[in-house]
Amino acid sequence: MAAIEADALAKSFGGRPACREISFTVERGEVFGLLGPNGAGKTTTLRMLAGLYAPDAGAARVAGYPITPGRPGGPELRARVGLLTESPGFYDRLTARENLMYFARLQKAREPARRCGALLDRFALREHADRPFAELSRGMKQKLAIARALVHDPDVILLDEPTVGLDPEATREVRNVVAQLAADHATIVLCTHHLEEVERLCSRAAFIAGRLVAIHEIRRGSLLRIELAAPFAPDGVRALCHSLRLSGSTLLIEPRAEVPEIVAALVRAGARIAEVAPHRDPLEDAWLQLLAEARER
Amino acid sequence: MIGVVIRKELLEVRRSPILLLSMASLPATVVAVPIALLAWLVRAAPEQALLFVQDVYGVRESAGVAAGIASVLARNWLPMFLVLPIFLAVLLAAQSIGGERERRTLEPLLATPVSTLSIVAGKSVAAMVPALAITWIAAALFCLGIDAVAGHMLLPDSAWLFGTLALSPLLALFGNATAVVVSSRVLDPRAAQNLAATTVLPLLALLVFQLAGRIALGPRFYFALAAGVAAADVALIAIAVRLFDREKLLTR
Repeated sequence: MAAIEADALAKSFGGRPACREISFTVERGEVFGLLGPNGAGKTTTLRMLAGLYAPDAGAARVAGYPITPGRPGGPELRARVGLLTESPGFYDRLTARENLMYFARLQKAREPARRCGALLDRFALREHADRPFAELSRGMKQKLAIARALVHDPDVILLDEPTVGLDPEATREVRNVVAQLAADHATIVLCTHHLEEVERLCSRAAFIAGRLVAIHEIRRGSLLRIELAAPFAPDGVRALCHSLRLSGSTLLIEPRAEVPEIVAALVRAGARIAEVAPHRDPLEDAWLQLLAEARER
Repeated sequence: MIGVVIRKELLEVRRSPILLLSMASLPATVVAVPIALLAWLVRAAPEQALLFVQDVYGVRESAGVAAGIASVLARNWLPMFLVLPIFLAVLLAAQSIGGERERRTLEPLLATPVSTLSIVAGKSVAAMVPALAITWIAAALFCLGIDAVAGHMLLPDSAWLFGTLALSPLLALFGNATAVVVSSRVLDPRAAQNLAATTVLPLLALLVFQLAGRIALGPRFYFALAAGVAAADVALIAIAVRLFDREKLLTR
């Protein structure tokens, strides 16, 4: 059984639709991306899956618990879901440890003190554990928020914009934490604006713009685009590539060898090269197209 | 779960010196100012003070000036101690519930399996316990001060015992429930606090009229007030629990 099954979820507020026709499944151990412009309905979708909002129409099943129109997920569902909210949301005067312990108890985590200690260690927060939350850096706050989402060992982790508003160093730290979770085969729904996060971490991503536009399979491995100044038969360099596709004067290569080695082989084979550049992932193309369509609407 | 919420709320109050100071300042004033004024009047202008209380309140105290003025204070100052539990409960409850939204802790809190009833009840108890404790300590100090100045035991009398032990908890619950209802509708916790605090105005008006000698609040009034506040408490709690809906709170 899939960890999440969403079927035609729809939600509106005061007659204004926030999202509709949201359907997707997330398998256990999969990292699934939710992409879309601001106001596309990503957070609303996430909140429905977290048991905070009841859908107006459609249904979902999260960690085996149902969500139906007018009925948000109950406490059993919320106990199996870990939600990282867009803002860390902790109590400034309590220490990092006190904050984490509070949520661990509310989530009925087993052995909360031990669990919190282990998470503080895992996210390198142990030495800051007894400082008031207000004194932590943005990156530490976000890591603590991720620790809170994991404190009850949930079946499904929902991450809402985990790197928004972070400086580059904190962004890298948080991305590494999410990558660690992905490597541990956690089931994650990652809601983000950052394509590179989705490309790096997700196996699939849904584009949302008020409704589900498309579900995109992420292709790993960077492609190399080589523009040729003259016609050329590339058979001689096939051994250096995982895949090779010639389309007009554009040669798309998934390299097996280092780029200079491939370029040298091409030149030796008689190719006249006009330009060599990394090929944009199809995800970016799809994203830009989606943004253009959303703006037109 | 209620215990977890209460413990966290009380820990937050303990860690907030400004909140503690603002909670202590009104009771300190309510206790210290009348007793200091009484002590000063007895020394500075005893005859005029006695004439004043005889004219305004019809007091005929054979035990002397201090006892005469003290008995007036003892009789008329009780409404001020009924304002305290409402005011202090509002101060804490408006911060704790409206503050959740302001600090953006509401969404992670509501994402836990804890029921809204447990959240409301936990926060309410955590607001009422300090409010009542401070009210009772202040009332005890006031009684001791009045008795010391009067030279004999004037307080607590039956009205004071009923007011502080029976009426104060009902009023603290009233202040708390009002703050919960208001802060579930008003986004800014300070605005919610100010709005909820206006519920003390009728009691303050009664105090002013009583101090001016226009009315004399007796046991019948305090019993009627207790019954009215108890009924209002039940209604407000029902409204508070209905308003404290996860989706409504997050979408406002």
